[in-house]
Amino acid sequence: MIPEILAGLTAVLDWQVLAFLVSGVCMGAVFGSLPGLPAPMGVAILTPLTFWVSAEQGLAMLLGIYCGAIPAGGIPAILINVPGTPASIATSWDGYAMTRKGQAGLALGINALASAAGQLTSILFLAFLAFPIASFALQFGPAEYFGLALLGISLMAGVSGKHVLKGMLAGMLGLALALVGLDPMTAYPRYTFGMSEFLDGISFVPVMIGLFGLGEVLVQISERHTATGVQAATIGRILPKAAEGRSMIGATFGGATVGTMVGAIPAAGGDIGSVIAWEQARRTAPDKADFGKGSLRGLAASCSGCNAAIGGAMTTMLTLGIPGDAVSAVLIGALLIHGIQPGPLLFANKQSFVFSIVFLLIFASVLIMAIGILCAKPLAKILRVPAPWLWAGIVLFGTVGAYALNNAVVDLWAMYAAGVAGFLFRKARIPLGPLVLGLILGPMMESNLRRALILSRGDWTSMLTRPILLVFLAATLLALLWPLIRRAFGPSDSNHRPTLDA
Amino acid sequence: MNATDWTSGGLFLAIGIALIASGSVFPAGVGGLPGAGFFPQAIGAVMAMLACALLITRGKKGAADSIQMGNARQVAGAAGLLFVYLLLWGQGLFVLRTAVFLILTMRFLGQRWWPATVCSAALTAFAYLAFDTALNVSLD
Repeated sequence: MIPEILAGLTAVLDWQVLAFLVSGVCMGAVFGSLPGLPAPMGVAILTPLTFWVSAEQGLAMLLGIYCGAIPAGGIPAILINVPGTPASIATSWDGYAMTRKGQAGLALGINALASAAGQLTSILFLAFLAFPIASFALQFGPAEYFGLALLGISLMAGVSGKHVLKGMLAGMLGLALALVGLDPMTAYPRYTFGMSEFLDGISFVPVMIGLFGLGEVLVQISERHTATGVQAATIGRILPKAAEGRSMIGATFGGATVGTMVGAIPAAGGDIGSVIAWEQARRTAPDKADFGKGSLRGLAASCSGCNAAIGGAMTTMLTLGIPGDAVSAVLIGALLIHGIQPGPLLFANKQSFVFSIVFLLIFASVLIMAIGILCAKPLAKILRVPAPWLWAGIVLFGTVGAYALNNAVVDLWAMYAAGVAGFLFRKARIPLGPLVLGLILGPMMESNLRRALILSRGDWTSMLTRPILLVFLAATLLALLWPLIRRAFGPSDSNHRPTLDA
Repeated sequence: MNATDWTSGGLFLAIGIALIASGSVFPAGVGGLPGAGFFPQAIGAVMAMLACALLITRGKKGAADSIQMGNARQVAGAAGLLFVYLLLWGQGLFVLRTAVFLILTMRFLGQRWWPATVCSAALTAFAYLAFDTALNVSLD
């Protein structure tokens, strides 16, 4: 094993490989920080550039983009409440609240540190626990996927704070929006109104840009003469104090563990991982009331959770050849182009290559942490730009980003409608996070429930004999009943319950 | 009566009922296996129940609370300008219509002509170079 590890390290220490890695991380940071340019798009667009280089060099660039884009997605989420990637949604909850409190620099610093910690933890998982985790994920059938989606939906109650009912309703609206397009099982068109543009459903990215980008701009315009605006000039320190760092250790590594496990489940990426990591940290934290209002623990957990999904997704991809998320699906294609077939045989025949990937991921994590800390001050200066300039920039790049996804005008109108809805929802104190979660999980939930029913020949009770599903259902029940349990047995804390206002 | 809860509860109740009604149009499924209409109706039913719960529980006890729209005229103006910009998408040169849209928006939001023009030109040029030139997204 030692010779393979050394061979993998030697291959990575080549200056050309490192140059490709650095360029990939920098490009990933650009892709991640621009809403509408998600990591899968960046990897897909730049994959053809790797055709003319060696497998290590090409993979170095693509992994660099992957590892750079996810933490960078937290930068706009923190500064302007617009997640750069879907995985950064939970980052905006506490990150943007910190920016509003004049702690943008600290939020960016925590984003860099916790993201690197999450990535490095998940890479250790990849190196040491690849086979057990991947084997566990392989046991998932449609019923288990349905249970996982149900658990995700039930967490909406938790992330909605004191607006539990409104949060659940927003989640249901997200599930309803996910119905638009062809029925996943029978290809029957639903809610397309005869328009071919709707056959593929409502794209998630334009809706996200509208809800969080345009909606936030309209809210800021409406409140521009009130005291609740962003404290634009205050950036503050970058690095947390020692006591703050110690208080975040548990949340960071707890989030990393959750993110890795979620990332290892095929099709469940950082977006789900970060939400579950945030919620898990909130439930175990002593300062629950601060979550959603600028909690350091909440930010650390969400950042590490979404980044740890990278290692989990890579574990599933390398050991089983199954993509853990959208980026790893593109990466499989890139590997195949270079004649490398991900799967169990890769571990048997090309161990040194596997360790090369592990070392590339480690270097990329350290690099993005350094870039994140060094660039935090200059990046945070974006807050000193006059507000109308910032609003114009957000609207322009959000609009062009929404259009660039599919070159479709219908995506622009989806973004516009979502923006107006996002503004009105905020004013009506309806949380937006559950709506997004519902939109993400809707197709997964419906198709797997119906697949499970087909496999059980329409017998609902036979699904309940599956132990993993039972665990998910029990966790779902606990998540839904937790507010009632806490109210019945906990201290009278109605004034201190955490709130995640839209 | 809590206005925000009342409004959102009523809206969600209407959507829930609409989902139940529209779901009945889709195939119901065969032999106990759910068809295309199953999930919309299930979501609609849950949404209607939750909306009723919101109307009953929160609508009663909430203090008088109206939706604060704030600077509504500026919000409507900015949203209207964006609406017109999207309506004109694909007409004429991207650079020209985008620069005009941004200048008008910034002027509407209180910026002076000179900074608004410079900022609009810079943003438009960067967006065009990044998306059209570098990423080959046709914006014209």
